Amino acid sequence: MNIDDWKSQIKRGTLEFCILLMISKRSYYGYEIISELDKWQILAAKESTIYPLLRRLLKEGFLSSYWQETTEGLPPRKYYSITDTGKEYLGAMSTEWENLLSAINGLQGR
Amino acid sequence: MVKNMEIILSNYLEKIDKYLKPIGVAERADIINEIKSEMLELEAKDKLSPEQIVERLGNPRELAGAYLGQSITKNNSFNLRKLGTVIAFYSLAGLGSIFILPFISVLGAALMFCGVIVPIGGAVKLLGALVGIDVPWVVMQFGSYIPSPIMAFPLSILVGILLFLAGRFFWKLTIRYIQMISNRKKQL
Repeated sequence: MNIDDWKSQIKRGTLEFCILLMISKRSYYGYEIISELDKWQILAAKESTIYPLLRRLLKEGFLSSYWQETTEGLPPRKYYSITDTGKEYLGAMSTEWENLLSAINGLQGR
Repeated sequence: MVKNMEIILSNYLEKIDKYLKPIGVAERADIINEIKSEMLELEAKDKLSPEQIVERLGNPRELAGAYLGQSITKNNSFNLRKLGTVIAFYSLAGLGSIFILPFISVLGAALMFCGVIVPIGGAVKLLGALVGIDVPWVVMQFGSYIPSPIMAFPLSILVGILLFLAGRFFWKLTIRYIQMISNRKKQL
């Protein structure tokens, strides 16, 4: 039995959804996204997953980005915010997520 | 801050920059700056040493490969920059791809190129025949059959289309193959 394989498949399928959910609340920069996801073991993902994924979401027009100076002596940060297309996509994902949950509930016989 | 960055970190960024060569300068600089920003956050907030940061970010080949994989499979179009990206990607994608990918990607590009060149040759031969000059360096021959310049032109268009379609087939195969590898590499 290899539950890790299954967990990583779930993560792969839901990271996009999780990231859009976060960014729909406010603008985030990469490091913050990674630390936030790190709070949940099932969602924890590496830089080499998150940054290319953010880049793809940007290219697909679901996110927009801007660079902002910091006041803490750190280099500028690249912030991501959600676009209207991104909100639409997120809405559609949320619907499907609900569908999946009720399907599973149905199968569990609740 | 950036000037006194540890050698080990700037070496890492240089490697990423090298592997990402096929991506345009502006986009590449944006990627590098973002990774640099991540490194310095990790250093300042998580108190990681340069060695720990580099370890956490992982092999620069793999990180660069993840970016390249995303930018190749985004669409199916063909251009020189993309061919460069494909070549850079398979050089990072590991030994298994060393035979298949160069073969099908170069074959695809070469066949598409021939598909364009052959009708041009046919047109040159036809024009030559129309103004009464034989163009000896353009020759069409199928086995022992050598069509007349007038016949050669439509034939060259037909052959050109066939070559181009064959080239496009191999090109799509290349894209599909890369999608397959990059999906496999997406293991978290």
